[in-house]
Amino acid sequence: MMGDKLLFENVSKIYGEGDNKVTALDNISLNVRAGEFVAIVGPSGSGKSTFLSIAGALLSPSKGRLLLNDEDITSLSPKKLTRVRLEKIGFVFQSSNLVPYLTVRDQLLLISELIGKRDKKTMKKADELLSHLGLGHRADHLPEALSGGERQRVAIARSLMNDPEIILADEPTASLDSKRGRDVVEMLAHEVKSRNKAAIMVTHDERMLDLCDRVVNITDGKVFG
Amino acid sequence: MFLAIRELKHSKLRYLLIGLIMVLVALLVFIISGLANGLSSDNASSIQNMKADYFVMEHDSKNKLNRSIISMEKLDEIRASSDVKAAEGLGQMMITLNKVGSSEKTDVTIFATNASGILAPKVIEGTNYDNKKQGEVVADSSLKEVGYKLGDSLKDDLSGKVFTIVGFTEKQSYSHSPVVYMNVKGWQEINPALKNQGNDSISTIAVQMDSKAEENVRESLPEDLTLISKDESLQSIPGFKEEQGTLTMMIAFLFVIAAFVLAVFFYVITLQKTNQFGVLKALGANTSFLAKSIVGQVMLLAVACIAISVALTYGVTLIMPEGMPFELSTNLVIKYSLLLLVVSVLGSLLSLYRVAKIDAIEAIGRVS
Repeated sequence: MMGDKLLFENVSKIYGEGDNKVTALDNISLNVRAGEFVAIVGPSGSGKSTFLSIAGALLSPSKGRLLLNDEDITSLSPKKLTRVRLEKIGFVFQSSNLVPYLTVRDQLLLISELIGKRDKKTMKKADELLSHLGLGHRADHLPEALSGGERQRVAIARSLMNDPEIILADEPTASLDSKRGRDVVEMLAHEVKSRNKAAIMVTHDERMLDLCDRVVNITDGKVFG
Repeated sequence: MFLAIRELKHSKLRYLLIGLIMVLVALLVFIISGLANGLSSDNASSIQNMKADYFVMEHDSKNKLNRSIISMEKLDEIRASSDVKAAEGLGQMMITLNKVGSSEKTDVTIFATNASGILAPKVIEGTNYDNKKQGEVVADSSLKEVGYKLGDSLKDDLSGKVFTIVGFTEKQSYSHSPVVYMNVKGWQEINPALKNQGNDSISTIAVQMDSKAEENVRESLPEDLTLISKDESLQSIPGFKEEQGTLTMMIAFLFVIAAFVLAVFFYVITLQKTNQFGVLKALGANTSFLAKSIVGQVMLLAVACIAISVALTYGVTLIMPEGMPFELSTNLVIKYSLLLLVVSVLGSLLSLYRVAKIDAIEAIGRVS
């Protein structure tokens, strides 16, 4: 279907072989449209991380197809997957995902450096993103000087730096209190809507679910809802 | 370099400490090699500066000049060979000389050769000795430092002969002793192995020739003679091989130490940053980007440290005592600097291997 930013088609992930076989994801089909903010919930060990790893082109599925912006990325080489992650996916990880020795501005410019074009334009873009997320006055600070909430806002700004097709957030509120956590998720939801991006957030924090368009429950590698 | 430079700036203390170790190791490399060079020339400059490519020695001498005795007739035979450009006889012995009118004694090496031949010393003060006149010598200028001057008389206790210094030459030492040049006749008279035989002999024949002719000349020699290169003759100077070997071994170890210190340092730092590298890889950094960053850091660090060491080395030479045998050529400094750089980069390979093994997936689902 057109308009799907991310499409899982009968995706399974099986670890190990023979008697040690573990099915982490069992025949999952799921689509995320542009402007849609989807929450993935489920108990630990349910396959959430595996799901996110496959969605984030960090892991290849054992069976099924994966389409990112209508492009089949199921059987790309690791090298090409790295390029896909760099150019088409934005990541927001758990607490400590910023590089400790880079200033807030450099965290964003690192993405441009990796893509291979760091110039005045990307510098301007980074500063715009930072002031947009209320971090303009923090641009020259190191992560250690920021609060947990500010760090996650930097991570959101960084995930938008490459103008991605989809944003993947892995428990972005894990180290935050509920007020700050909610602020961060609200900000993420707002950016997704206003920029018409697709987003998937893995979370166990049920208080955030009202900010999402859709909640998908994963239990024992199967999707409900 | 984006990450490399920013990290160096951020973790100053950490890199300063490892840099300090590198500076000290490099400094030691330069100082020891300067010393090795200095000692080698203090030991054997007379042979090193000699205008000869090969030496003909007595076969049973085990390449030791003081044991070799060759009949003077052989010199003409060798000169007659079409492969030989020039040849000259050299007599050698080590003796202790007394300064006449003083209790001063000095160990010297006597070199006896034709005063107008290819081995004749370059006189920098006074005149050259005479081939016919007995009792004239040209001494190495280091004798001046211990109080000798032109016109001083020296006595060989063993033979009772007296010699007068008529000139000084420079950079002539053999087995750490100053060389005193005289004519062959004088040497034959004080050499206890020769004086009773009345034979016209020398210790060795120095030969100038092309290395291509080596085999030809060697085969044409009679059985009791042998041909050695200048380098081989250096190695047979008493103590030369041992002295140089010890210092060379120290230098080699320093290179190994430099490699290991850097390898361990960067490996530990890389282990510490495993999680960070995982995140970077997830964001889309490939291994070569991270590898360049690490090698970049090592190169920056190594170049800075080597530059500081070179500056320090030249500073140290300024405050070294006068008589210290220390010689460091620019060539050698450049050669060892490059070698240190190569060794440093080799040391970072272990970290690169580690980085290559880090999986981007470690960034997901990790609470830290």
